[in-house]
Amino acid sequence: MPDLDAVRRDLLAALGPDGVGVDPLTRRLYARDASLVEGDAGLIAFPRDAAEVQRVLRIAAAHDVAVVPRGSGTGLTGAATPLHDALVVVTSKMTRIIEVRTEDRLAWVEPGVFNLDLTEHLRPLGFHYAPDPSSQQVSTIGGNVNTNAGGPHCLASGVTSAHVLALDLVLHDGALVRLGVEGPLDPGYDLRGFAVGSEGMLGVVTAVCVRLTPNPPAVRTMLLDFADVDDCARTVSAIVAAGVIPAAMEMMDRGIVRAVEAFAHAGYPTEAAAVLLIEVDGAEPAVDAQTAAVEHAAAVNGVGTVRIAADEAARALLWKGRKSAFGAIARIAPHYHLHDCVVPRTKLAPILAGVYAIARRHDLVVTNVFHAGDGNLHPLFSFDRSVPGTLERALAASDELVELCVEAGGALTGEHGIGLEKRAFMPLMFSQESLAVQACLRDAFDPSGRMNPEKVLPAGARCGEFAAAAMGRAGALPEGTWI
Amino acid sequence: MDLIHPAEAGEVVDAVRSGRRLLPVGGRRHMARRGAVEVDAELWTSALDRLVAYDPAEMLCVVQAGMRLGELRAALADGGQEWPTDEPDDATVGGVIAAGVDPVRRLRVGTLRDSVVEMEVVLGDGRLVTSGARVVKNVSGFDVHRLLTGSLGTLGVITQVALKVRPLPAARRTLVTREGGLALGRRLLDALRQPAAVLAEPDRIVVHLEGWPAEVAEQEASVRALAACEATEEPPVPGVDTFPGSPIVVEAGIVPSRLEGTLAGLDAYRALSGVGLTWIPCRDAASAAEIAARGEAAVTCRAETPEPSHRERTALEERIRVTCDPGDTFAGRT
Repeated sequence: MPDLDAVRRDLLAALGPDGVGVDPLTRRLYARDASLVEGDAGLIAFPRDAAEVQRVLRIAAAHDVAVVPRGSGTGLTGAATPLHDALVVVTSKMTRIIEVRTEDRLAWVEPGVFNLDLTEHLRPLGFHYAPDPSSQQVSTIGGNVNTNAGGPHCLASGVTSAHVLALDLVLHDGALVRLGVEGPLDPGYDLRGFAVGSEGMLGVVTAVCVRLTPNPPAVRTMLLDFADVDDCARTVSAIVAAGVIPAAMEMMDRGIVRAVEAFAHAGYPTEAAAVLLIEVDGAEPAVDAQTAAVEHAAAVNGVGTVRIAADEAARALLWKGRKSAFGAIARIAPHYHLHDCVVPRTKLAPILAGVYAIARRHDLVVTNVFHAGDGNLHPLFSFDRSVPGTLERALAASDELVELCVEAGGALTGEHGIGLEKRAFMPLMFSQESLAVQACLRDAFDPSGRMNPEKVLPAGARCGEFAAAAMGRAGALPEGTWI
Repeated sequence: MDLIHPAEAGEVVDAVRSGRRLLPVGGRRHMARRGAVEVDAELWTSALDRLVAYDPAEMLCVVQAGMRLGELRAALADGGQEWPTDEPDDATVGGVIAAGVDPVRRLRVGTLRDSVVEMEVVLGDGRLVTSGARVVKNVSGFDVHRLLTGSLGTLGVITQVALKVRPLPAARRTLVTREGGLALGRRLLDALRQPAAVLAEPDRIVVHLEGWPAEVAEQEASVRALAACEATEEPPVPGVDTFPGSPIVVEAGIVPSRLEGTLAGLDAYRALSGVGLTWIPCRDAASAAEIAARGEAAVTCRAETPEPSHRERTALEERIRVTCDPGDTFAGRT
């Protein structure tokens, strides 16, 4: 076991008293993220720049202590939950927007910058940062990079990895490397692409070069209501089949619409079985053409009414309904378990039927608000933990849900990540050999295994065992080979 | 030189485990990017050419890596869609991915690396690995396929991929202006907001437009308001094919704000405005080396302290290569 007192002394010497958290309250605060899992934070470091991050990681290396990188802690899977008294490295004091270069369509920012703050900073320049996770008011760019965050507007523009050109990463031993390039040609392997979404298991991100997206000249936001959930799901496919990729296409079922209306008064129709919130953008003629195609696809699939936001205030109100969904569900029950699986979008209707059946079977309330255009479901089971047996039922329902989605050809997670919560499910998607290769590649970045250990990869997937087996086949290893 | 023509992934595994040094070969369109390598055999993917699954409503297409782009384009056109690449018809899907060539039209259609959502690959020690999933959005596990994209055949043989495809544009238009220059290219880019491509040359600009018919008409009017031009049928040709008469064409990735300084004094170039990818024809190896050095100096503007370690990055890349190809089957050791 590492000597935490010695680590604390070294950290205090390197960062000063403001840079280190040792008291019980702070340790409690950083013992978890926004998931249901609670861990143990040994010490908490608050470095102010990349050089301090390097110092912190050298200290961690000297004392052989595990490191958990963390932004705002809004993650939903336990990826930022420290285990066994790990050192939590919080980047919330690294909040500089280092430079904005509109001609190059890029900006360099420190990891602690809030997602929404960046977009607000860019707006007057005619640009924005496209990924917009629902947590964007409080989630950081560094956290977004580590989870490869998505959001409603990722349907047309892609998730975080499509908007990160390069990043600076401090490795387990304190070395600083730049992955990716500002320009259009990266001569090496796409290490940047591998690092985005790596959930803190490769190193600590100290700077991010993000791509700037020009603000669209025109935007149109529509709310479509349906008396039948299947019609709503079919409309999603019909819109895509018509050659339209909306900027956003969000589906909400009756349960969530009613909760949202009671909370946000956004004017959503509470009698509908489901609604679609659709946004199209681009040049004015492109917006007109897409709107017409959406209206046609909805009409042939039994839409009730199509409301088009007449002005910016009406548009903001429609989005307020969507974005307040997770505040609103607190009115249903005190606790919730939120999922994030992805299914082929043509299977949305039968999968949703399956989700309702699972909820019925386990006597749980389920509501659905999700990125329908991507097939990215967010079923939300609401429950009261204080009722004995309820948490167990919620977890059993979650297991069935994950299996349902993967069996349909889907994936475990579309934007939240694997973390602690879903690592046991990884063998549903990947063979042992594929998991072992993932483990080995992770080890190539972090041979020490101290960067956010016990996350993402299931307990059995280790590089060493597998490398031994591979060696047996390949014969003797050439000199200089790293294992 | 031996030639191996596997028709399924299992045969690729056998070939890789045979102990010979191999060069994976697709359509031979991007071999120059890898440079000369000494191997015992070429492993051709030409018999791995099946369309595995395609449902236009999913906007995904699963193909074996040896499929030619011409064949893929025809299959996808039936569904009113395309895989966004501007490489030639006789290139293979796997070859384009291994070479990591982005489409000329990337401002509109995105980058190549974001269009590969799932991959099956045989690594250098014969492990058959899958990565990603057949859905448009997925963050499950580490993306091995990201490393293979652009790896030039040094990590493994790509055998199958799932590709994110997109609707074919309803309208397309290509315009060529009578004047050229980087400054005009920049003005056109600013005026158009989302063109498919603006290719600046010293004496003309080629503007590729695509989208909804009324949108393209509006963009064409914007171009004509800035510069006299004619419509042509010129396709969005990748740059290295732009100067057929030139013995050497240097491809450089230059940060857009440094284009003017870097290309100063050159009387021939083709630069992708807003992106910075540039092709420069050269008479001989010496001038090519000089131009390449200028390009390398202009890949970034940011110089911060602490400075990232180039040596550590190189070491990291080598550890990744050895992880995937411990026996140097693909002759990638540097």
